[in-house]
This record gives sequence, C-alpha cells and structure tokens, in this order.
Amino acid sequence: MSIAVRPILSALLRNRTGAVLVAMQIAIALAVLVNALYIVMQRVEKIGRPTGIDVENILVVSSAGFSERFRTVPSIQEDLAYLRAVSGVVGATPINAIPLSGGGSSSPLVTSPDAQRSDNFNYFEVDEQGLDTLGVHVVAGRNFRHDEIGPPLTKQDASRFVPQIIVSRALAQRLFPHQSPLGQRVYDALNQTATIIGVVDPVMGSWPGNEHPDWVYFMPRLPFAFGGSTSYLVRTRPGQRDTVMRIVEAHLAKSNPDRVINFVRPLTYFKNLSYLGDSTMETFLLTVTGLLIAITGLGIFALATFNVSTRTKQIGTRRAVGARRRDIVRYFLIENGLITSAGVVAGCALALGTGYWLSLEYALPRLDLYYLVGGVLTLWAVGQLAAWQPARRAASVPPSVATRTV
Amino acid sequence: MFAYYTRLALKSFRRNPGLTALMVIAIALGIAVCIMTLTVYHAMSGNPIWWKNDRLYTVTMDNWDPQEPYREQPRLPPPQMTYKDSQYLFAANIPERKVVMYSTNGVISQAGSVTPERVSTRLTSADFFSMFEVPFLYGSGWSAAADSPPQPVIVLSREENDKLFGGMNSVGRTLRWNDREFRIVGVLDDWFPRPRYYDLTGGNFDPPEKAYIPFAWGVELELLSNEDTDCWKPEKIDTFKDFVASDCIWLQMWVELPDAAARARMQSLMDGYWAQQHKAGRFQRPRNNRLTNVAHWLRDREVVANDNRVLVGLAFAFLAVCLINTVGLLLAKFLNGAAVTGVRRALGASRRQIFIQHLIEVGALSVLGAALGLALAALGLAAVHHLYSAAHLGHRGGYQELTHFDSVGVVWALLLALAATLAAGLYPAWRVGRLPPALYLKSQ
Repeated sequence: MSIAVRPILSALLRNRTGAVLVAMQIAIALAVLVNALYIVMQRVEKIGRPTGIDVENILVVSSAGFSERFRTVPSIQEDLAYLRAVSGVVGATPINAIPLSGGGSSSPLVTSPDAQRSDNFNYFEVDEQGLDTLGVHVVAGRNFRHDEIGPPLTKQDASRFVPQIIVSRALAQRLFPHQSPLGQRVYDALNQTATIIGVVDPVMGSWPGNEHPDWVYFMPRLPFAFGGSTSYLVRTRPGQRDTVMRIVEAHLAKSNPDRVINFVRPLTYFKNLSYLGDSTMETFLLTVTGLLIAITGLGIFALATFNVSTRTKQIGTRRAVGARRRDIVRYFLIENGLITSAGVVAGCALALGTGYWLSLEYALPRLDLYYLVGGVLTLWAVGQLAAWQPARRAASVPPSVATRTV
Repeated sequence: MFAYYTRLALKSFRRNPGLTALMVIAIALGIAVCIMTLTVYHAMSGNPIWWKNDRLYTVTMDNWDPQEPYREQPRLPPPQMTYKDSQYLFAANIPERKVVMYSTNGVISQAGSVTPERVSTRLTSADFFSMFEVPFLYGSGWSAAADSPPQPVIVLSREENDKLFGGMNSVGRTLRWNDREFRIVGVLDDWFPRPRYYDLTGGNFDPPEKAYIPFAWGVELELLSNEDTDCWKPEKIDTFKDFVASDCIWLQMWVELPDAAARARMQSLMDGYWAQQHKAGRFQRPRNNRLTNVAHWLRDREVVANDNRVLVGLAFAFLAVCLINTVGLLLAKFLNGAAVTGVRRALGASRRQIFIQHLIEVGALSVLGAALGLALAALGLAAVHHLYSAAHLGHRGGYQELTHFDSVGVVWALLLALAATLAAGLYPAWRVGRLPPALYLKSQ
C-alpha cells in the first residue's frame, strides 16, 4: 500500500464535522438495519410456518337459523348433501370454529382422572369428512367412521363428551411423551373419558398467535349451533375454489327461508387477517429500512461529490507532483472506509444496545449476531459504492488544474 | 430583506438542483414516516371518554382458579365478570349509573324490505346510553323500567337504520329480532369510540354493535356471548341455567361513581361481598377487587401494541438519519459557497445577516420538505387504509380505523417538519456566519 492511512486520517481530523455526521448516519442506519431485519425474519418465519391445512382450496360457509321453524340437524344434513354434490368439491364438513381465524374453542384434557388440568387444548367438532376436508393426513390409527358422528350438543346436555378423539402429533407428544397415544384414555374437565383412535400430521388450530397452535384435537360430533350459527368447510379441487364459492353462495342463500347465510369466504381470508399485523410490520420495516439505506448511500455520494469538487485544486496538485489516478481513487475510498468504520463501530454498540432494550421491553428474542455481521458488511459495501463514482471523478481531474488558478 | 433572501435561496437551490432535491426528499420522507406511525399510535392510545376518567370505572373481581391466575397477567383479575357476581353488584344503588352487558348475534327480519341479516347486538341496560354518552339521531334509549322484566324494545345504530329504513325516523316501527317482535325506540347518531373501551374482548378497534336490547333478554332467550367466554372450574354445565350459575366469565360491568366517597362505598361493597363469598368457599385467590378507570383499563388491556411502539421508534431513528444527512449536505453546501459569503461579509453584511440569510434558505427547504412530507404521509396512510380495508373485505374494524389523518395530525406534522429542519439548519447557518471573510477572499 503506497498511500499511508495517517495523512488521510489527519486530513479528516482537521475537518471533522462532515465525517462525524456521516459516521453518525451510518451508526444509526446499522442499528436500524440489523434490528429491523431481525424482526422481519421472525415474522417471515411465523407467517411461513406450515399449517398442515389445504388453505388455498378451502372455503368457509356460515349459516344462521333464526326462526322458530328452523331445525339444526336436518338443516346440516341437507346442506352437507348439497355441498358434497357440487362439482369440483372434494369434501365438506360441518365445524364448530374456523381454523386459523383467531376464534375457537378449547378445553382441558388430561391422562389420569386426578391430574391437574393446567392447559386448555384447542378442539374441533367435525364429521367423518372433517380431516379430508382440511387436508390433514392420519399418520397412525384411523379416521372417524360415519356411525361415530354424534348429535350436536344442545342446551340440555352441553357438557357431554365424545367416546373417541383424534389428536395432532404435537398434542399426542404433549400428552403421552413416552408411549404410543393410540388406544389411550383421556379425561375431560368432568372426568368423562374418550379413547384416542388416531393421530394426524401437524395441523394448526384456531389461534396461529398462540405458543402452541398445533396442540389440537378432533371430536366426532356435529357442531353446536353457537348463537344459532353453523359453519362448514368445503374443500375444492385446485383452481375451482372461486367457481364453487359463487355456485354455493347463490344456492344456499335461497335454499331455506328460516336461515340466513352470514358469509361464504375463502379460508385464506381468515388466515391473512390473522397475520395482517405481522405482514404490515414486515412491509413497513422493510420499506423504511430500504429508504434509510438509500438515503444514507445518497448522502455519502452527495457529500463525496461535493468534497471532490471543492478539492479539485488539491487533487490537481497531487496529480502534478506524481500521484497516479488510482492513488487518487484509493485516497477517497480509504477516506470513506475510515469514516464508515468509525460509524460501524459506534453502530455495533448502538445495534446491540437497541437489540437488548427491545428484548427486555418487548419480550423479543435477543439479537442474533449473524445479523450484525451482515449489517456491517452491507454498510461497508454501501459506503464504498457511494464513494466510488465521486472518487473516479476525482481521479479524472487533470494535473494542469494545479497551475490554472495560480 | 426577506423577499431578497428568499430570492437568494431559490437561486441557490437552482445552482444545485440534485442536492436540493435530495435534501427535500430526505426531509419529506423522514417526516412522512414519522407522521404515519404517530397517526396510528395517536389513534391507538386515545382515551375516547377522557372527561369521565374520574367517574367511569369497570368492575372486575378475581374469581379465578386458586391454582393459577387468569392468563398472562397474574397481577390482574380476569377482565370479565360472572353472571351471579355482576347481578349481586348491579343490585346496589351506590353508582349513579351502572351497566352489565355482553354482545351476541341476532337475525333482523321483516324490517323494511331488506332480506334477513345477522347483526351484532349488545345486551345492555338502560344506563348504557347516558353513561357512555352515546349520541341519538332519533328517539332515545329505553327507561330503567324496560330492563326488568325485559320489554321488546330495540335501539339501532345509524348505519343499520340507514340500511333497513333508508335513514328515515324509524322510531315506533317494529322489526323481528331472532323471529321475535321488537319496537324501535331509538336510532343512534354516528358513534365509533376508538378504541372500543367499553368492551375490549373483541377487536380493540371494531365498530360498536348495530343493535341494542335490554340485558335480561339474554337469560330469557338463552343467548350466549359472541365474544370471549372463559371457564376454569370443572363444573357440570348442561343447561343455560347451569351456565348463569357457573364461575364462567362473559360479562362486562361498568359503574359511574360521582365522587371519591361513592367510589370508596362501591369498593367496600365489593370487598364485603368478596369476604362473604370467600367464607362460603368461592374466591380462593388473593383478594383483587378492582374499580378501574378508562385510562388504566386501556393500559391494563395493552391496547397499544408493542409493534406500534417499535414502529414509532423506528420512524424517529429514520428521521434522525434524514436530518443528519441534511445537516451534512447543508454544511458542505454553505461552506462551498464561502467565497460568495466572504464577498458579502466584506461588503458589509453582518454575521447576523449572513446567519439569517442562510436560515431563510433552510426555512424554504423545510417548507418544501414539510409539504411533500405531508403529501407522502397522506398517501402512505391511504395505502395502509386500502391494504387493511381490502383484507377485511371492506368491513369496518381493524387498523384501517386508525389511519384517519386528523387536524391534530396535520398540526403535528407541520411543527415536526419546521422544528426538525430548522434544528438541522441552525448549525450550518451558524458555521457559515462565523467564517472569517478574509480567508476566502484571499484565494480569489
């Protein structure tokens, strides 16, 4: 290296305000970049978790009986017979709550009658097509049979349990960590028992935001008409969801004057709504971080351009006394590198401090150090790139400039 | 002099259009991002009935599982009440006004010519409307006499009245609610408290219900809540009768207490009831009977999401970078023009005049930046509104309710812009005023 760092440094120190300002920008930019990207990655991971459900091809129907003449069970049977006959429909099930929607039911389940009931587990009431409609596979044991599907709870026997249940793999591991769950007995809040007859693939329940959204079980029963409303899930062949939705909506609206159809919507609607806060956070953080880097880069570029134009004479003089073009380029890049390095060092402290504060204040996980390394490299690259063109322009100053104004 | 300096500033902008544009854009972006996050934050953190903060209290008692607290906030009692406890406290005549209530769904039919439709309906008592200062367009709420036994009276929201009766005065007409005849006694005017403090069990920014009927219909017609119902106790609940006698929580209770004495009496009523029930075997957790005002209630229920605090922080960090950027560029620019400044100084301009001249240039920049920033913020908020409305399929409720750009927001924005840029311009303007003119004249 033919150019020593020392003269650049002392030149910088003689005129430090500009350099300090750039370093401050870089420090803040680094702290924001690193922490924002870390938060974004957590959200991306959260939204991207597999649901185990064929979300894209499922639609949700909600119907509410309201007149004295309305009868829940015959209405469910009639609706199911219709839905299953529509061309393009793979399966349909009545269900007590909409998966991934943020609303649902949960109830305790324990493995011995005297155990402490500390956890409520999310459950779904479905019929024999329930699992196939969701697109959930039975990995052990078997599915519900048609003759096992019980009548809905009523306002006379609302605490009735079911004889059989199917559990998600995660719940099976939670309840029976060391044994096969098949054939095991479980107890509800009132010590009524059911036998586990099947285990299904991981499946996400009603609350994607919960710590364990996949602790789910299924009951073979028509759903309780909660507030008079019954929901159905309908799974269609890929690509036919919207067509089926239109047909179904038009038919059901007129099929029974004693009820109203509250809505027919794709399941994606509920999933997107559940993650709306996370996806907005992602968009906002990425946009602002992108703008921040752009502004910082442009600021460095503009300042470097300015510096070159004010130092034309010095550059010319240096060229006249023997500096090569690449010495000039190198001078400016090293100068930029020094400033960026100072900013990055301060930025690391700021980033770690911010990360620590966020983890305390908002219960976010502690910052991953890989992000810091990535952020440092990014800002270095941005700094050098921004200084590159001005440095090239500086190098093209002809040595004759030195003599011109003297 | 002002006009002259403004002309000088414009001339200076024209000399470096790229640099000027960069500074204006940086200021505008910084301000726009701040205004957007602050608008949402402001809307979230508002107390829609602040003037009643020393009168209005929500009532909660810890009836939860002796083995473990209700959810994540062990310090707080559960946010809702059981039927039996709320009924006991409701019978007291200490409060000036009192309500026990919940929300359900009902189907309205045979109203006007509209097809039957499910509407969210609040089961509440007569005081609801005066207590929460709900405005009426037509008619009024029902009298306390209609509460018990429940009379078939119903109040509609303005939106629902528009839909059912085309906005006409429908007071006195009847409709069927869950196939039972109800008489319309009142129509609300526009009313949309954000956050929906009176009931935070659903979405915090959901619109109020579309219909209101007396609370006692709930038991009469055996209507369940369409929001959270939480139970902890292993008890056999087969019938609605079992349900109302259970330790399940599903009701919101509010009281209006005119002064500290009334508050103390209400508190001692609760504590006395607690002690008596405790002796009888209920309430086995530590005594935690609370009267919570709206401000504390919103804080306890964590209405402002952590994400929004993080975003406000991010916005200010961004603004800081934009401003530092501007300081750097202004400084470079002003010092570059030092030769001209030197000439002006030599011709008799004072330091003060140089300072003011540059400050006016900065001021012009800040006006441009603020205007552009305001426009960008409005655009950005419209985009967020659009995004959320689309996700909600156009229904109300949710974050899109928080994106309204109010007059407070505009004032904030202008102040922010002005303060920020002037702060950014102060140092460069001062520096250039301090330059010794002789030094710069020499090199000419």
